Amino acid sequence: MKNFNHINVDSFDAASFELAHKKNGKTVLIAGGTDLMNILKEEILPEYPDTVINIKNIPDSEGITVGENGITIGALTKLVDIAESQIIKEKAIGLGEAAKSVASSLVRNAGTIGGNICQDVRCWYYRYPHSSGGRMVCQRKGGSECYAIRGDNRYHSIFGGMKTHRSSCTGECPAGTDIPAYMEQIRKGNTAGAAQIIMEVNPMPALTSRVCAHFCQDGCNRGCQDEDVAIGNVERYVGDYILENSDLYFKAPATSTGKSVAIIGAGPSGLSAAYYLRRAGNDVTIYDTKKEAGGMLMYAIPAYRLPKDIVRKFVSSLKKMGINIITNTTIGKDIQASKIEEKYDSVFYATGAWKRPVIGIAGEELTEFGLDFLIQVNEWMKGKVGSEVLVTGGGNVAMDVAITAKRLGAKKVTMACLECESDMPASREEIARAREEGVIIMPSWGLSKVIEENGVLKGMELKRCTSTRDEKGAFSPQYDHCETQIVNAENILMAVGQQVDLSFLDEKYQVQLNQRGLIDVSEETQMTSREGVFAGGDATTGPATVIKGIANGHKAANGMNKYLGVVEAHIFHNMISEDEGFITFDPEGLKVKTAAKLKEIPADKRSIDKEDAFSLSVEEVLKEASRCMNCGCYAVNASDISPVLIAMDATIITNKKKIKAVDFFTIKLNSVDMLDLDELVKAIFIPDMSSFQTHYEKLRIRRSIDFALVSCASAYKLTDGKINDISIVLGGVAPVPYKLAEVEELLIGKEMTSELVEQCVDVAMKHAMPLEKNTYKLSETRSLVKQLLSEIN
Amino acid sequence: METKFIALTVNGKKYEFLSGSDSIVGIVPWNETLSDTLRQRLDLTGSKEACGEGACGCCTVLVDNRAVSSCMTLTSDCNGKEIITIEGLEDPVTGELDPLQQAFIDYYAFQCGFCTPGIIMAAKGLLIKNPHPTEEEVKDALSGNQCRCISQYHVIDAVMHVSKQISI
Repeated sequence: MKNFNHINVDSFDAASFELAHKKNGKTVLIAGGTDLMNILKEEILPEYPDTVINIKNIPDSEGITVGENGITIGALTKLVDIAESQIIKEKAIGLGEAAKSVASSLVRNAGTIGGNICQDVRCWYYRYPHSSGGRMVCQRKGGSECYAIRGDNRYHSIFGGMKTHRSSCTGECPAGTDIPAYMEQIRKGNTAGAAQIIMEVNPMPALTSRVCAHFCQDGCNRGCQDEDVAIGNVERYVGDYILENSDLYFKAPATSTGKSVAIIGAGPSGLSAAYYLRRAGNDVTIYDTKKEAGGMLMYAIPAYRLPKDIVRKFVSSLKKMGINIITNTTIGKDIQASKIEEKYDSVFYATGAWKRPVIGIAGEELTEFGLDFLIQVNEWMKGKVGSEVLVTGGGNVAMDVAITAKRLGAKKVTMACLECESDMPASREEIARAREEGVIIMPSWGLSKVIEENGVLKGMELKRCTSTRDEKGAFSPQYDHCETQIVNAENILMAVGQQVDLSFLDEKYQVQLNQRGLIDVSEETQMTSREGVFAGGDATTGPATVIKGIANGHKAANGMNKYLGVVEAHIFHNMISEDEGFITFDPEGLKVKTAAKLKEIPADKRSIDKEDAFSLSVEEVLKEASRCMNCGCYAVNASDISPVLIAMDATIITNKKKIKAVDFFTIKLNSVDMLDLDELVKAIFIPDMSSFQTHYEKLRIRRSIDFALVSCASAYKLTDGKINDISIVLGGVAPVPYKLAEVEELLIGKEMTSELVEQCVDVAMKHAMPLEKNTYKLSETRSLVKQLLSEIN
Repeated sequence: METKFIALTVNGKKYEFLSGSDSIVGIVPWNETLSDTLRQRLDLTGSKEACGEGACGCCTVLVDNRAVSSCMTLTSDCNGKEIITIEGLEDPVTGELDPLQQAFIDYYAFQCGFCTPGIIMAAKGLLIKNPHPTEEEVKDALSGNQCRCISQYHVIDAVMHVSKQISI
């Protein structure tokens, strides 16, 4: 056990003061020490305390006193004294039974009631000793995974788990999509609920599912055992569902805010902002320079990846919401930015990054801009594409350019990029697709000079690129000029990035730019240096992903609503079914090793205008959603005392507040998280239970030092043989004590019969979801509840 | 360096230790367990340490007449406490054994003897509080003391013998 600083305090206020004024590091309290000593000795938690405050010697902190309305128990009262107290035996026997069931007499002689209700979880993965190969950083400790889901879960929850923090898949998504939550809705057969969860952060999942890099899948914890959940493919199903039922999801707002906003640029960021701004009731107008709305989604991403009718369907849904879209209008040319800023209450610039960057190699003027190629692909179809094409660049745009050129009939398409293959920015899938279609990929080659004969393009000389970044990670390509190679080509398509063009901004309406020449915006609201003028998307970030643009547009919409004083009412939450607070997964789904793949058109049949892949069927989607582990904590409540205190409707008294036991124990996964940093439990108040029968029953394998497989705390009152009031709380079966509220409701005012007992047992188990190794707990729980109810008479 | 005194009474003798956070020879570090203080500083090696996590009962001693695991108790938390170990049970003048110790001999209530000091101290804690416990109460009080030699049946006989003998 490592050393620490030790402080004795003589009052709760002094302890609180020490907690509030801790110098650095963690400060913990020691009462009985039976839980803490183990945590310290085994170094279970990543953060070791710097200071231990001994609160054992606080005067009047121990003892049981009877008042007019009930019993008050000091926080430092030892469990042995509660178990043996005559007052407790007479007035609240259930609490005495619970205290007596704790561990062993040696532990009860030292352990206090305050410590018991604040103790840490007993899960064996959580409490794995650091000395035996290192502690296990499970989700509850800030890690990403629950080891019990796939491991030994005999003693774990049968009613689901609880989130401890954002899941890592959600964390990887730039928009923060709550992926496990929508997977759960799909498993419940509620696609509408799943759709609503996505729509809260991304209004165009049908589009993103087809083009997104799916960063979320990098965070999927299934990746380390078999395959990531194919989140994108499930999202695609939900996205298609949303467009098929667009009337439900793209409703015109019920009330108008009377505020008008203009959005410049109808790309991902602009359309996303438009959706959220309109949903809140604003009058929204979008301006775009192109013939059709959609930006890069419409013009840059090839139709074989994103069919244009899907983009059009989404855009027309936005129009149905009442969003006004003005196309063929260039800001700075057809209409001045100043005019727009004067006309609307707020403006959002999301003009993207469409400009060709200049590399500075000889003969560059003979090459073509890859993006233009994609935009004008229809004209290219009229025979412009040559038999040999060189594409430069290693990102997804370069891949789109190369594959499109190949499909347009180029005999040989070569792709050269600076990065080595493992560092190429394009996704693995896209690289594989390009290879499958015969594109020759040449990683680690830089551009030297264009080869020409009398102004006619003949090819490109490449030079070996030895590294792309310096020690600090900054872009700084290094070349070996001795190693060169010539690639013959009739067309050279440059796809080495795009630049932001801000020339449309009026001189007197200039906004502040950052060092990279991008519009400088507030991290929090996307507001530019000028009041009420916002910007987002590639114009503020440089070329980025679609989902980043969407997230950016949503953030700007929130910023603009805030600026305009608009408060959006939540309109859709009724679509999400929340029958119980606990999260669940499907143990059968854990056994499905492979992820659902999209069926694709064979490589030789693919074209540039037909989508390569087909969406999953409902059955495939349900199966894939069942593979999501819904990562959270699936351990059970540790304290034997907590279910009884809830059943007796006790109150926890701290140095700062009084809190109902049910709130203290069930709102958060760790009861101590209900306390401020400088707050500690002083006493527990139990209301007068003299007219109630109270009882605590704990099912365990050993009489001494064992967990509750399941425990049941109860308090009930009979009037004329009928149940007047009843409270039943289970322990050891859920992350927090589990109150059988539906059973209680069923019993009030009734006389107990054997049929009613059976009915109640079924209701009690209605939401059960055992893990692989704890199904036995179902029958144990059933019989414990049955036993309790059968004894009521 | 911050230091403070810890006063203990062990088996009737008074001790005072200087405690602190740093490791200076002779000082009691704040993270030292009562088990280590008793066994290593005071050479009272009767109580044993086996599991080190409060589950086996071998290190049981009385703190203010209550049986607790000394391996799970910080010495720095024990300022002003009275501690009794197995060594403190016999009469210091005559050397006569405590009736409980004698009963363990008479009933062959141990084999290897490693857990015995802890079991006797746990039983002593019970008898101080409740001189005439029932068999059920004895079993409950000793439920935190493990014996790998399976002497429990004789232990219960020995403690029950004392339960019936003592009169206060």
